[in-house]
Amino acid sequence: MTDIPTNLTQFLFEQTTRTEREWLEEQTTKNDLDLMTAFVAAPRFLSKKIVSYDSKSKGNLIPNLIGFQVDGWNLVRLTRVWLLLHLTPEPKEQFVKNIETLFDTAELNELVALYSALPVLPYPREWLPRATDAVRSNMGFVFDSIALSNPYPELYFSELAWNQLVLKTIFNGKPIHWIYGLDRRKNKELAIAISDFIEERFAAGRKLPLQIWRLVAPFVDESKHPKLISLLNSNLQIEREVAALVCFESKNLELLSLLSKYPDLELSIKNGELDWSKIESIPE
Amino acid sequence: MCQNHKEPSANPSHFESISSAEEKPTHRDLLWEDYQNLIQGMRFFDPHIHMVSRTTDDYQMMAKAGIVAIIEPAFWVGQPRTGLSSFKDYYSSLVGWERFRSSQFGIKHYCTMGLNSREANNERLADEVMEILPLFAYKEGVVGIGEIGFDDQTPLEEKYYRLQLELAKKAKLPVQIHTPHRDKKRGTERSMSIALEHGLDPSWVVVDHNNEETVKSVLDQGFWAAFTIYPFTKMGNERMVNVVEKYGSERIMINSSADWGISDPLAIPKTAALMIQKGIPLEVIRMVTYQNAIDAFAKSGQIDINDFETEFQPDPNAKFHGNSILRGGQQPVPNKNSLFIQ
Repeated sequence: MTDIPTNLTQFLFEQTTRTEREWLEEQTTKNDLDLMTAFVAAPRFLSKKIVSYDSKSKGNLIPNLIGFQVDGWNLVRLTRVWLLLHLTPEPKEQFVKNIETLFDTAELNELVALYSALPVLPYPREWLPRATDAVRSNMGFVFDSIALSNPYPELYFSELAWNQLVLKTIFNGKPIHWIYGLDRRKNKELAIAISDFIEERFAAGRKLPLQIWRLVAPFVDESKHPKLISLLNSNLQIEREVAALVCFESKNLELLSLLSKYPDLELSIKNGELDWSKIESIPE
Repeated sequence: MCQNHKEPSANPSHFESISSAEEKPTHRDLLWEDYQNLIQGMRFFDPHIHMVSRTTDDYQMMAKAGIVAIIEPAFWVGQPRTGLSSFKDYYSSLVGWERFRSSQFGIKHYCTMGLNSREANNERLADEVMEILPLFAYKEGVVGIGEIGFDDQTPLEEKYYRLQLELAKKAKLPVQIHTPHRDKKRGTERSMSIALEHGLDPSWVVVDHNNEETVKSVLDQGFWAAFTIYPFTKMGNERMVNVVEKYGSERIMINSSADWGISDPLAIPKTAALMIQKGIPLEVIRMVTYQNAIDAFAKSGQIDINDFETEFQPDPNAKFHGNSILRGGQQPVPNKNSLFIQ
């Protein structure tokens, strides 16, 4: 058994009824095979009530893992992650085999719990193939469990895998600002891919999620000039704001001088009233 | 099997019957469409049907005939599986894709999990399957361990039958017993006595594929007696009417066991229509075609009748793992009477 963070156990127990808690405590005495069975059987013994945990006011559930958050999970998902932490981590081969078996036999909700647990499991790099597979998945909930509000990709994904994750999130029409570490892992290759995507959308006359400009902004140059002008002259306030942010973050002289023609927007950025968090919205 | 072609197969398939030449199908003389109005508004529960080998047409007809919920027991797919992965994929499909496909027609899908008796004879593979079986037995919507029991009645079949009875006890799940096609009477008795020997409460055990020869003993010992209306090899529905007339409705249930063989997913509604025609009281029909199956398998704690008793509208836009059963703008309920296939 790995060291299970006290905060996590305490929070989990606070959420349970007495019978549920007794069941949980009983599981901690079990061998690995029984723990794996308990992982599957959890919905037979626990409710699926939604838990809420505010890490800002209560502190991290897992010390040194800031991005790990359980807010909005149901009790079964939380329990499953907690049960996995009770598996014997040694020998490594056996631990890996146990987790792989759970993946191989999992139904959808179990997969969600498994991917949610990846950042807290021992041997984190062993799960990279599974995690990148989940990004390829068409299963909405599974994709969300690895891509959104999960610190694992930021910590362990290669640049190529990371970029795929971000692109797939955009293609799936999901909120990219829920990708943990998004701003820290901006990169040139991703900016090029998104820039191409923006061109395609413009060519096809289709709308595009405005948030994605934030990934391009630090790498953009004057070639985007015409598009930014059209956005700056848009009827929609939000489009004008996005274009202003892009110009500002580009550090490109031409684009900065373009922005200076819109002093109210420029001023609100400089005053700290306008930043990307104002653009964050959940796609329709 | 079939290594020496001069010898008869050791494992005749589901629909092969030694005496098939003597038996005649009895339900084809009447036309189903003439009798459908008899069951208008009735609700049916088929506790044994292998939808994995059926088509969406079947789902459509079943929904139209009033089947609101089904149980799909894990069984034989017609040829032996060669590795653990095939079992994993099959079990996963029972709680995954098949459940979703069924939901698209407004039919609630449950399943039972087990290692079937034929494949219990491959000991190496059977051991591997037994290791992962608990991971499937406890999944949501799994209402029993099944179908398990005997086929050839070999020692290996007995070994895995016993192991699975223990799993059922531990998991607090009902057991669904498949009784053998050959030497049925002895196989049925043996299945029951082993279940009792393991301390199972017979009210938690459904003995399947009964006939006139086995029913009395099954009921006398307190087990549920399930009957499979399956042309040629198992029960015919006229015979079933006689069984119900003789034994009543207590602990008796009907299923179709429709699978990849020549079988009929509408076996229950057709039998119900025949029962109405023969004057069997409606409440008796309701018990044997609906309520008893629910009572037996609800002991698993996994059946919520609200899932199929309240008006359920399938969501045609729903997807499973991002996939849909619909292709290119299809609707789940096309006009079957139209010559145009659009």
